[in-house]
Amino acid sequence: MPNRALQLKILSALILCGAWQIAGLIPVSYAFPTFTETMGALFDMARSGVLFEAYAETLQPLVVGVVISAFIGIAVGLWVGLSNFFDWLFSPIFIVMQAAPLAALIPLLVLAYGIGLTSKVLVVCIMAMPVIVLNTSSAVRNTPESFKEMGRSFLAPKHSILLRIVIPAASPVIFAGLRLGVSAGFIGAILAELKITPTGVGDIITYSRSIADYPSMYAAIFSIILLAVLFLNLLEKTETVLFKGNQRGYVSD
Amino acid sequence: MKRFLKRLASAALALPLAVSISSGTAYADKIRIALAETPSDELAAFFVALDRAKANGLDYEWTAFSDEELAIQAVLSGQMDIGFGTPYSAMQRSKAPLRIIFQLSKLKFFPVTTTKYSSLEDLNGEPILLHSRGGGTDSIANVIEDRMNIKFGERSYVPGSSNRVAALLGGRADATIIDLSNKNKLMRSDAAENFNVLEMFEVEASDEALFANLDWIKENEEDVAIFVNALVSTWRDMHEDPTVIRRETNPDGPIGQLPEEILAELDGFYTDAVEGGLYDPDGGGRTAATADMEWYSAAGQLEGTPDELNIEDFWYLAPLDAATN
Repeated sequence: MPNRALQLKILSALILCGAWQIAGLIPVSYAFPTFTETMGALFDMARSGVLFEAYAETLQPLVVGVVISAFIGIAVGLWVGLSNFFDWLFSPIFIVMQAAPLAALIPLLVLAYGIGLTSKVLVVCIMAMPVIVLNTSSAVRNTPESFKEMGRSFLAPKHSILLRIVIPAASPVIFAGLRLGVSAGFIGAILAELKITPTGVGDIITYSRSIADYPSMYAAIFSIILLAVLFLNLLEKTETVLFKGNQRGYVSD
Repeated sequence: MKRFLKRLASAALALPLAVSISSGTAYADKIRIALAETPSDELAAFFVALDRAKANGLDYEWTAFSDEELAIQAVLSGQMDIGFGTPYSAMQRSKAPLRIIFQLSKLKFFPVTTTKYSSLEDLNGEPILLHSRGGGTDSIANVIEDRMNIKFGERSYVPGSSNRVAALLGGRADATIIDLSNKNKLMRSDAAENFNVLEMFEVEASDEALFANLDWIKENEEDVAIFVNALVSTWRDMHEDPTVIRRETNPDGPIGQLPEEILAELDGFYTDAVEGGLYDPDGGGRTAATADMEWYSAAGQLEGTPDELNIEDFWYLAPLDAATN
């Protein structure tokens, strides 16, 4: 029942916005604006073009980082999943990357790569890549053996088994990893802009905070969350188109 | 199952209540101070004043925030009582009844450039390195533009004077604005001949000040009076003899625990600072408030002209008046 799902989603969004409005009206803090004030600030920023200029800057490290992480991440993940040797060689690196407190490592990245785009792309990659690699590799490793046996008994060559059996079977988990990776990438992009040099959306957040323009600050945060949610939905639609009949039901739409 | 849910619900209700009661009593007498940075040599005088206030019966605890805005927000939301910083925009925009009670330091910053430039006029159209957009050095740059009738080129932001000095030394920037102690360090080093400190007008406005919620101040007049008295006495003693800070620093306190090399430089730091006019022995008061109105409205952080702004809306002068008279 897609309609019912849509109704529930709208209801949950309304409850959230309502709670936000009430919390702003109380107010829970002088620094917490109402939902309507925040939306007003968001429209003002969109109208004056400030928001789009900011996104033009924020999207650079984000897009580059996410694209690199997705391609290299899935490739390395497949490789690690298919070969025990590469599993042994690479898995620990990504597990360490995933567990590392990135905010604390940023000074090291700045020391090595400066304050430009390279450092920011690296922050996005460090956030996004491990989830993608680890999810892909475990998905590939857990392809049901009977499927592969069937392929072999039909004398399918190795690349056909990989392309027609392993990857489609692993696709739900690969896409789950991709979605988690992309969300982590969004976190990484904003973290980089807050911690390295304030540019783009990170600059709107820090600047609005320093001049106590809290509605604009929350509007910038809201906009990045909105963008992340929209992008994740798009990713899920892509998955539905690419691997029809393989979805196992998600809550993220 | 139903019984279990009931129990769970009652526990869920009781827990926050118990926590709020216990935390309420724990904080009843202690004043909570929000520092805008971790304790460093620049805060040594402040900690000496805190020790003096403690000797007079003030009970306190401090928390260091990673930046000034977080400290301001903590005071705005009532999690902290007294904060560090110059929250003029927060006072004007958020309508929170915040008031400044003491000026800790003045906005003494210096334009330092490579020998390519020798006066502020030379910086017209040239790129400059500043602390953060909307911060103190950004406001200095705005006022320089205004008074000298120039326009800086691209502004890039690197937080921390020492990091901007590193950028100058590394050749990644030709002009920046840095604080007194970093300017002195740079100009006393071997690399000094490659740099110029450009002559600039005097600034009386506040860089760091102590502020609190007016309602809280009125409820805790006695504590505030002890604290402001201790600050005034420390600031005055420091003006007579800057070495008093090193002598009175508690060896077991947060400053006393800093590395020996930093402690050894305390006397030099405070002698330079007092000479350079970084501190006002009378805690700023009306002079500082008036200068702040002028400065922060020129810098674009306060809306309105200085004569429209009322200093009583930003400062609460009673404790300082009592302490200085």
